[in-house]
Amino acid sequence: MEIKLLSEHYDKPEYRSLEGYKKHDGYRVLAKALKMDPKAIVEEVKASGLRGRGGAGFPTGVKWGFLPDNGEPRYLLCNADEGEPGTFKDRLMMERAPHQLIEGMIISAFAIGSKKSYIYIRGEYDDSIRIVREALKEAYSAGFLGQNILGSGFDHDMDVYVGAGAYICGEETGMISSLEGKKGQPKLKPPFPAVKGYLGKPTIVNNVETLAAVIPVVDKGAQAYRQHGTEKSAGTKLFSVSGNVVKPGTYEVALGYPLMDLINNECGGLKPGRKLKAVIPGGSSAPVLTAEECAQANMDYESLAQLGSMLGSGAVIVIDDSNCMVDLLGVIMHFYHHESCGQCTPCREGTGWLNKIVHSVLSGQGRLQDIDLIVRVSEHMMGRTICALSDAAALPAISFVKKFRDEFEFYVREGRSKVKGAAHVEM
Amino acid sequence: MLKCKINGKEMEVPQGTSIIEAFKLSGQDIAHYCWHPGLSVAGVCRLCMVEIEGQPKLQIACNTMVQDGMVINNNSETVKDVVRWGLDFHLINHPLDCPICDQAGECGLQDQYMQFGKYDPEMAERKVKKRKVVDLGPTVVLDSERCILCSRCVRFTDEVSKTHELGIFNRGDRSEIGTFKDRPLDNKYSLNTVDICPVGALTSKDFRFRQRVWYLKTAESICPGCSTGCNVNVYYNEEGLWRVRPRHNPEVNGHWMCDEGRDTYKYVNRKARLLEAKMGHRDNWTLESPGAAAKAAGQKLREVIEAHGPESVALVLTGQYTTEELETAVQKFKGDLGSSLVYHWVNNPESFEDFDGILLRGDKNPNTKGLLKILEQEGVSLTWKDLESRVQQGQIKTVVVAGPENQSVFPDFVEKVNLLAGVENVVWLTACPHSVLDSREKATWQIPLKTYIEKAGSFINHQGKTQSFEVGTVIVSSALTLAEAATLLVGQELEVSSGDRLAELTRKKNFFTETRGAL
Repeated sequence: MEIKLLSEHYDKPEYRSLEGYKKHDGYRVLAKALKMDPKAIVEEVKASGLRGRGGAGFPTGVKWGFLPDNGEPRYLLCNADEGEPGTFKDRLMMERAPHQLIEGMIISAFAIGSKKSYIYIRGEYDDSIRIVREALKEAYSAGFLGQNILGSGFDHDMDVYVGAGAYICGEETGMISSLEGKKGQPKLKPPFPAVKGYLGKPTIVNNVETLAAVIPVVDKGAQAYRQHGTEKSAGTKLFSVSGNVVKPGTYEVALGYPLMDLINNECGGLKPGRKLKAVIPGGSSAPVLTAEECAQANMDYESLAQLGSMLGSGAVIVIDDSNCMVDLLGVIMHFYHHESCGQCTPCREGTGWLNKIVHSVLSGQGRLQDIDLIVRVSEHMMGRTICALSDAAALPAISFVKKFRDEFEFYVREGRSKVKGAAHVEM
Repeated sequence: MLKCKINGKEMEVPQGTSIIEAFKLSGQDIAHYCWHPGLSVAGVCRLCMVEIEGQPKLQIACNTMVQDGMVINNNSETVKDVVRWGLDFHLINHPLDCPICDQAGECGLQDQYMQFGKYDPEMAERKVKKRKVVDLGPTVVLDSERCILCSRCVRFTDEVSKTHELGIFNRGDRSEIGTFKDRPLDNKYSLNTVDICPVGALTSKDFRFRQRVWYLKTAESICPGCSTGCNVNVYYNEEGLWRVRPRHNPEVNGHWMCDEGRDTYKYVNRKARLLEAKMGHRDNWTLESPGAAAKAAGQKLREVIEAHGPESVALVLTGQYTTEELETAVQKFKGDLGSSLVYHWVNNPESFEDFDGILLRGDKNPNTKGLLKILEQEGVSLTWKDLESRVQQGQIKTVVVAGPENQSVFPDFVEKVNLLAGVENVVWLTACPHSVLDSREKATWQIPLKTYIEKAGSFINHQGKTQSFEVGTVIVSSALTLAEAATLLVGQELEVSSGDRLAELTRKKNFFTETRGAL
């Protein structure tokens, strides 16, 4: 069952404009927040158990608490560089409710004491860029941004920054590099952005959905927010469901919602006559789940971790029995090879190597030892690099090979897919 | 001080030491490419992984600071496996063209693979093809396929030379080092990028394809290019010097040296040298061995003094010689000949104080401070004007000049020779010939001297720091040092080199260095 804390009005076209947003109680919570003690907001967010919705799932309030109290200017960056294959919830949020994001950001900026924020939007999101920019103009002219917001004495400026289409700029330090005008490459940690981020100043980077979710937390309080979800995964989450379902789309459900319910109830199940083969539950970098595992999976951080996968950005890719897993891995490996920034050797060389091995199998040139080699190369790419892109390439590779080894062996032996009718498309 | 344990060895390191520095201090091996003590931490080669007790994940030693009580190791199977695979990742797209690579023999990939490698490559796919000969600028050539993208050269141009010419273009395994259009790698320190390149990606246009490094021997010396006195290693064989590279000295030059200093090997080699003494004047020269020529010149000096008194003989010195040589020369001249006319030839007074903020100084003499010290010690304080007026008045009949070893940095060379045109006899002590000397119309002795690499002694640099050096190699064995020349000029005999010293020099020639390629 959908619980629409954030997406209640997404279906109303008027919600996009300031007028329509205000009609549905927009900016009411901002007025309330500006009267609160900023520290109390941070505490409320901590108590709510809200975790980063971009992929890593780090507790938001804890992250805010890392800011040093040194009087330096602080920056709030909104990560709208939604690049994880399968994810499209941030786009929906920006296109349908740009003011919700802006309101969430002003509240968050007030809580952490930031006078300047940027929304870093993925370059391909033309509509989102245009719509958020228009909304910013409206918010400025209505006095929600700029000097002395709503007479509270709090000043805040907000800008849109457009990315240039690199997956790696969705990684927070890569995004900071890009925003600083440098090549979008992740930075060495420590120091962490909260201590030394944008322009060397304390910086908080949060996902679009995380910032929007601050509104219900501040509005109804942490306890009310915790009513939804599980003990460790509180609240609701937007899931982008794609692949072989009848009704793909973005659905907001409470965390802990069973995966099969999401597929069968919200998404209308699989197409007639098809059988579920696998699901990638959290974007292309999450290890794949087999049909049996899907039956036990709940959509929260802990349940998926227990199954060896992850919630990630909440991109659920449903795969039925008409798909060839070798071919799918080829697509994923092509992506990570293309997107590796090339700084760290294991990732730069490993992603290319994996891509070559999988495509040599796909072209009928594979050797049986290549199947184990995929796993071995992947294992040696994990946990050895500055950011998680290397792991993001290695995890699906390992899970695909381990869980669908028969398809890989068939492909090597026969030089064609085990799945009838599945044609390999050369990337 | 912080206590830590590295591979079981207890040690203390100062606060703010990174783990990789602690490894270096403890003298233990740790694989690495991108880390360089003179540059910022990049943390990209991922080879210096270590295990720290109490931490679940391996950490890179270059970006992790030692904390009190840390127990660190890099000799466990886990770490060894990481390093083996890390090296394999570096090599899967490396062309392995060692037989035609200039770096072979001093290559970080070769050396570290020998030490830490997997010895069982599994790469069966095609390697990425990149550009093999990229002209980066006037001094450096890039081979992109060999490059392991450690980013040392990029960081050098960003942090040390601050010229920002280099960058990494493209991404993933298509990444390549490159320059922007119309902005070549052209700065006064560009060849340091070749030194710090751990592989054969960046090669020096001056040195590439000229010698195999394992046929070269190394000697320590001091760069004579300017008053900074960078510590250097020279690489030589029986034919002469082939290249000069910086030697680490935190108090003088750090890890670096300038490109100008690297060129100083050129005037040392036989091709540029005065090999035999020349006596006579324009169109009428007799060749003679240096010793005999010096003795003959000495005879002439004494005749002149007998005829015109000691004040008819002057000595001109440049800051190009060792303090010891200068001291002997001044003492012999004053003590044995009795003339107090000793002058300091300053080559470029207007730029003497220049400094580029990194290493290069306007004073192109390695030992100006040494010369000034000796002049003061011997009580000489004559100005150049004094010499000019004495020459014009015809009081001076004979001048002995310890001419510049490195003539190219003496823009007033011809002017000074012309100033002495009217002097009856000129004894010009010099390492290299010069055409203006050959066209002198009055009696001239050109006597070959040894260069800095062929003698022992010390220079005092601009900081007042005395830096000693030993004989590196001998290129023109019959040439004299300034001290030897001065001794012969005053009519004394040379002490013959002892057998021990000769044996030591011979031994040095057969010495083969095994520590090449150390990063």
